[in-house]
Amino acid sequence: MPKVLVVDDDPSLLKALRIGLTARGDEVLTAHSGVDAVNQVALAGPDLVILDLGLPDLDGLEVCRRIREFSGVPIVVLSAYGDERRKVEALDSGADDFVTKPFGMAELEARLRVALRHAAARQGDGPEHTTDIDVGDLHVDLVHHMATLSGAQLQLTAKEFELLAYLARHAGKVCTHHMILKDVWGPGYGAESNYVRVYTHRLRKKMGDEEGRVLKTVPGIGYQLVPGDHPPAPNE
Amino acid sequence: MTDVTPGKLVTRGTYQHNLVGIAVTLAGLVALVALMLPFRSHLSIAIPALVLVVPALVGAVISGFPAGAVGTVAGFLAYDWFFLPPYNTLTVRSPQNWIALAVYAVVVLIVAQLVSKLRGAREEALRRTEESERLFELSKALIGDLTLSQLLTHIVGTVQSVFMPRWTALVLPDANPEASGSGEALQVAASAGQAMNDDDLASVTSGGGQARSLGLVDDRAPRRVSVALVVSLRPVGILVLQDVQLAERERSLLGTFANQAALAVDRAQLRDQALRARLLEEVDRWRRALMGAASHDLRTPLASIKTAVSSLRQDHTRLGSEDRAELLELIELQSDRLARLLTNLLDMTRIESGALELRPTAVAFDELVAEAMASLGGIVAPGRIMVDEPQGLPLLLLDHVLMSQVLANVLENAERLSPDDSVIRVAARTAPGSAATRVEISVTDDGPGIARQDRERVFDMFSQNGGGGRAGLGLAIAKAFVEAHGGLIWIDPDVERGARVVFTVPCDTLVTAPA
Repeated sequence: MPKVLVVDDDPSLLKALRIGLTARGDEVLTAHSGVDAVNQVALAGPDLVILDLGLPDLDGLEVCRRIREFSGVPIVVLSAYGDERRKVEALDSGADDFVTKPFGMAELEARLRVALRHAAARQGDGPEHTTDIDVGDLHVDLVHHMATLSGAQLQLTAKEFELLAYLARHAGKVCTHHMILKDVWGPGYGAESNYVRVYTHRLRKKMGDEEGRVLKTVPGIGYQLVPGDHPPAPNE
Repeated sequence: MTDVTPGKLVTRGTYQHNLVGIAVTLAGLVALVALMLPFRSHLSIAIPALVLVVPALVGAVISGFPAGAVGTVAGFLAYDWFFLPPYNTLTVRSPQNWIALAVYAVVVLIVAQLVSKLRGAREEALRRTEESERLFELSKALIGDLTLSQLLTHIVGTVQSVFMPRWTALVLPDANPEASGSGEALQVAASAGQAMNDDDLASVTSGGGQARSLGLVDDRAPRRVSVALVVSLRPVGILVLQDVQLAERERSLLGTFANQAALAVDRAQLRDQALRARLLEEVDRWRRALMGAASHDLRTPLASIKTAVSSLRQDHTRLGSEDRAELLELIELQSDRLARLLTNLLDMTRIESGALELRPTAVAFDELVAEAMASLGGIVAPGRIMVDEPQGLPLLLLDHVLMSQVLANVLENAERLSPDDSVIRVAARTAPGSAATRVEISVTDDGPGIARQDRERVFDMFSQNGGGGRAGLGLAIAKAFVEAHGGLIWIDPDVERGARVVFTVPCDTLVTAPA
């Protein structure tokens, strides 16, 4: 029974989420403020945090950063429509995914499932020490720089492999263009999102994923590697 | 505008002026002759000659050479007739007397000539001073911070008072000819003097006026003078003077006037445009803030409604009947909230467009509270409200529809900021120091209170801290409505815990509510 911490300053949304998530079988904790949220993450150790970006005391981005200082708990951010910049900032600050208000429970649950599953996969040995990563039918061998899809080897260039490995390491998390460029291309990059676009296109072709069901595009934000069998409900 | 003496720059009524001079001269002459006549036989013939120089010179000083000349001739005749023997004839017997007479005439004529020239120079100097004063007066308007319409009025007023035409009009290109619908490119922006009749208006603004009006004198209306106001070869407008005849000097003065006026008008027009642009920007900023605030406030209840509804649809098998009831209640409450927000927004736009009209009636305080609670639907549970109404509180005199919205907004805010099931206190008392013309209503909650630096901002629609956690439109609207009633709204700084919002409302000074 996963323990979910819901952080929002609107009591009625908290109430609706508490009832909805409890019915799903989660244990639900709630927090009205940013400080309360950080404290509860530290004390109660939730398996997942649903965080509204607009809080009365602390900015949601700041809450993200503070939680990330001591915890890798997956964070799904609730944001207002049209607030693309803050979404990207939240993802850069350590959030795993986002849901735009107003949202249906089905969409939220799909996001929570992905975030929880990959957090579980990442646990145990930390992502830095993993030698093999499995995302659905995709297997990435970090030691031998090899990737197979349903057992068939993918012919990848060095950069393509690096990109795939990066996305696989952060499977389930929405990776912004900025994050990908900085980590795969190097610290000198950050604005050249067309590079990422070209390489994801090639990767999709080699993986037979032209529709982007596994390597998903998050419009205006970045990319997300999800197992092909259970794609989250389309966003927006 | 400085006082302008009537009369044209160049001495109008010179004729009249000369008559005065001549009259003074002749009167003086008669008086002096009368004075000297009894003693004429005892006087040397030189004395009357010297004395009679005086009136001629006085005349020349007063009105120039003509009076001097008249004085000379009259003096000559008087001298000859009364003082040169044989008396009472024009006959001059002695050659000595002929010399006296001739010297008198020559001296007086020369002196009168000199005096009148001096006088002309003085007049010229005066005229120049006056001209520069007029120009200075006009240039003051350039420096001064007049609005465009004030400036135009000033220009035509000055021209009218200086040149005294029948009327003066300033014709400007129509700022937006499409909007006026007249299709005419010119319109009279300001006029002075006698009222212009329709023919005047038509002839001044009629088409094809540009080229014709650039000339100084209008051929089609001979007694009309038009001067183009031009700034760097671009026509700004036309100054039209009706029924006036200008000397060369006055024309050049008018030309200088026109140049300065053109610069001033151009500058004022540019400033007007800048002001209008800034105003539009301000309105635009306000609209955007309203849109932003409204969309945030509308989205919040919508988010929980959608979450609750989707839960009900999806998990109906797993939800207990209690959960279902709770979700349904939540949906109902949030729908009420949405409806209230829309009412608020509508009122806000009515305030903004000036369509809001206060309809004050006498209302008892508890009626106002009841109305506010009704408009809140179930957002605030009635059990949480504690009303404190003192004995003998006067009836409130206000627009109860608007003021119940104010109270509802403040209550809703208190509900949002305070823990569930805590008590919200609503109190009223006669406002201290108001001579019992106002009642102070306060709403106190048990929440975390409002930080000192936010106490002003919560009433500001533009307030926004860090992208979220805003007070919402409610208090901004409350403030607008309270101020429309001439009242004040503030956060009481002297509460130990929670927040207290206080506002004043007008009350009936004569009638108190029944106990």
